[in-house]
Amino acid sequence: MVEFWDDFFSYLASVGYMKLVRIFWFYFLFEFFRYIFLETLALFSWKFKQRVNRKALQEARKLMWDESPLVSIIVPGKNEGKHIFKLAQSLREQTYKNYELIIIDDGSDDATPEICKNLERNGMITLFLRNDVRGGKASAANLGLRFAKGKYIIHLDADCSYDRDAIENIIIPFYFDQRIGAVGGNVMVRNYKESLCTTLQAIEYTDTISVGRIVTSHLGIYRVISGAFGAFRSDVMQRIGGWDIGPGLDGDITVKIRKLGYKIHFEPLAVCLTSVPNTFRKLIKQRLRWDKSLIRFRLRKHRDVFLPNQSFKLGNFVSFAENVTYNLVLNIFWYGYLFDMIFNYSSQLKYIIIMNFFLYTLNNYFKFILFSPFRERKHAPIHYFLIYIPLMVFYFGYLLRLVRSVAYLSEIFFKASYKDPWNPAKTSRHAKEMGL
Amino acid sequence: MNYTLHILKKIRGHLNPELYLKPIFLLKGNEKHDPLVNNLTDGVIYSLDQVKLVIPVMEQIYLKVADLSFTRSLSFEAQMIDKILNMMYSRDKKELEPIPYFNSGIGYSFPEASINFGYMDEWQVLDILDIAEKEGLFASEYLDRIYLCNNCSGGFLSYREVCPHCASTNASSEDLIHHFPCAFIGPISDFKNEIDNQLNCPKCNKMLRHIGVDYDKPSIIYTCGKCNSKFQDISVRAKCMMCTKDAEVQYLIPRDVKMYRMTKKGETSAQTGYISTSKDIEEFIGTVKLETFKTMIKYEIERLKQTDYNSNIAGIYLKNAGELYSMIGASSQRALLRDLVEIVRRNIRSSDLITFQNVNIVLVSLNEIPTKVADNILKEIINIISRLIKQNFKNFDVDIRYSVHQLNTRLSHELQIQQVTKDFVD
Ligand SMILES: [Zn+2]
Ligand SMILES: [Zn+2]
Ligand SMILES: [Zn+2]
Repeated sequence: MVEFWDDFFSYLASVGYMKLVRIFWFYFLFEFFRYIFLETLALFSWKFKQRVNRKALQEARKLMWDESPLVSIIVPGKNEGKHIFKLAQSLREQTYKNYELIIIDDGSDDATPEICKNLERNGMITLFLRNDVRGGKASAANLGLRFAKGKYIIHLDADCSYDRDAIENIIIPFYFDQRIGAVGGNVMVRNYKESLCTTLQAIEYTDTISVGRIVTSHLGIYRVISGAFGAFRSDVMQRIGGWDIGPGLDGDITVKIRKLGYKIHFEPLAVCLTSVPNTFRKLIKQRLRWDKSLIRFRLRKHRDVFLPNQSFKLGNFVSFAENVTYNLVLNIFWYGYLFDMIFNYSSQLKYIIIMNFFLYTLNNYFKFILFSPFRERKHAPIHYFLIYIPLMVFYFGYLLRLVRSVAYLSEIFFKASYKDPWNPAKTSRHAKEMGL
Repeated sequence: MNYTLHILKKIRGHLNPELYLKPIFLLKGNEKHDPLVNNLTDGVIYSLDQVKLVIPVMEQIYLKVADLSFTRSLSFEAQMIDKILNMMYSRDKKELEPIPYFNSGIGYSFPEASINFGYMDEWQVLDILDIAEKEGLFASEYLDRIYLCNNCSGGFLSYREVCPHCASTNASSEDLIHHFPCAFIGPISDFKNEIDNQLNCPKCNKMLRHIGVDYDKPSIIYTCGKCNSKFQDISVRAKCMMCTKDAEVQYLIPRDVKMYRMTKKGETSAQTGYISTSKDIEEFIGTVKLETFKTMIKYEIERLKQTDYNSNIAGIYLKNAGELYSMIGASSQRALLRDLVEIVRRNIRSSDLITFQNVNIVLVSLNEIPTKVADNILKEIINIISRLIKQNFKNFDVDIRYSVHQLNTRLSHELQIQQVTKDFVD
């Protein structure tokens, strides 16, 4: 064992800078550049812009409160009855009071209708709508949208909970910039202590959502408003006709709004807590569904974004290109990198794997600690996560990459997402026929 | 209301037993009679020649009436119960069965009971029969449930579907349509146009073709014509046609409709006259409820096991109280019972208890004194009571008895209380 480490360090000493870059080209070329260099730059630029806009932001807040528009909160779901009471009660804690709460029950087969009818009678729910036959999440959300009266629509998940000022904060950006068509909330993990799986996801969320989305939003390439917490302008929603068939409808609707020329904004101050899958099995199932939507929506349904026609918009192109590059293309490149290492450096492979591990772990610590001042809830217990960070190499670098590969392959060759029981068969069949 | 029923109500609804117990026969033409009339008459003859045929029936009724003793009851409830028992006993009727009846204020008529009430008050029959059942005079069997107005207890309710927000009945419903290809969902009017009968999707402009294939109707939605609100869960309200109050159905008063069967105790009560319900005598100042009395005796027995005191229970029995009560009105009865309690109270210690077993029997506990002394106290009480009644009621000779028992630690309290009352049965 000792011998191995001796060898390892002497190997390390013998490798020069150029060789290091040659061996870890994948890391330096793509990941270091994008996730450390560019993100750091972007974060400082964002902070600076916030400083500059401080007055305008205050003005927007004042404008919002002066108008106090009616906000329609719509919550579609199936068998969510047990969460609805807690949700309705917690919404009463919100600083923003001028909202209507519309619950849409998509063919529940449990006590959900009874619970909700009761809450509707007690005035805790403004409107309870039910489809006796399940129609899928998009149609349920659209039903809520059809009867919503608010100037803004907020889409929530029943099993999430929200900071007291979350509604207020997610509406304010609309008053800051008229070109903002939708605002995404900051989703954090509530059950991060539940299992190893949830802890790792919490680390992932703090990186890709709380920091990553500040960056993409700042650069104008923010793509997906999570279904757990998003706000939309009603008039814009009318124009695009609401949600289309999922899965991946959260990403799809943002693209449709972008195509109309509106900006998509990420609001770090609008905090929502969600419970993430607590086992790897459930996590993999969830991610397979999410990842398939990249192919389905970027490369099939909205491929026109890449075409240089009259509706071409550079921002949309970059957003798509970044997404496709950093997920699909690099996913393929990574396998190329793997082969490169196996064929060209087979004798040093054991050292390279260990080096690789140290490199990424260092990278992860660097990001986690140095980016924390930019995150909402700077004082969150980061020490809790510190010992888990080395595991992120396996979680993010290997597990999620593998899941992504499987999802892409099955969607490209088999259009698997149309068979997903997440949607009722009657709607999936139509979506497939029409190439949606 | 038809004339026959009107006459019948006058007779059967009267408070005087001489009148309300009279045998009544219908002289029938062709007309069909209402179920209440059939239930409250004693037979039908088709011509006056047939009168002799009903004589045995009348004799039978009078024979049964002779068993009854008529007393004045302490309360309205007791009086009604007494009346129902008398009617049933004299007709040898064991069961009081509710009949669905459109002229009834609650939808069901209990003939012998309901005849005493007007349309608006008929619900009181249910209360009275409940009391009679609790007193052990009737046993019951569940038949149906009715809902009564929470304002006037009327049973003539009109149920309507109304807007949950403003309670207007002016609500109309529409199908919701889900267009599968684009996931749009909205009321059917969104899909209609003014030119033809086709349905077109407002989101994707496609024509709807075939239900179940490219669209379906997952539910309906209501729109209120008054307040314009939308809702799926329409409320049901009941409007009372007696007092016009419009109430949500969950606030209506549910009542069980039961079939009642007269018990042995009911028959005995008809014979002796039913004077008071337990509620009527429970409320006399200076007395405790029978249940409380029993419990206290039980504890006293437990206590005696550990000490060598001597305690007693006694009973005072007004044997011909019924006779006396029938002479006087309800308020005088109450006054008499109040005096009686006061006399007993003055002669016993404040820690001792008094209770009414029924309107004829008063039970008294006499703790921590020798039985001999207790006996003397009772003798004194009886003397005073006899004198009082003699003075107040024209030399009425009251038959009053008493018995005193030493509490025995080896016997149950229930048994010992029974023994006291047993002494009075000849
Ligand atoms: Zn009424
Ligand atoms: Zn359509
Ligand atoms: Zn209304």
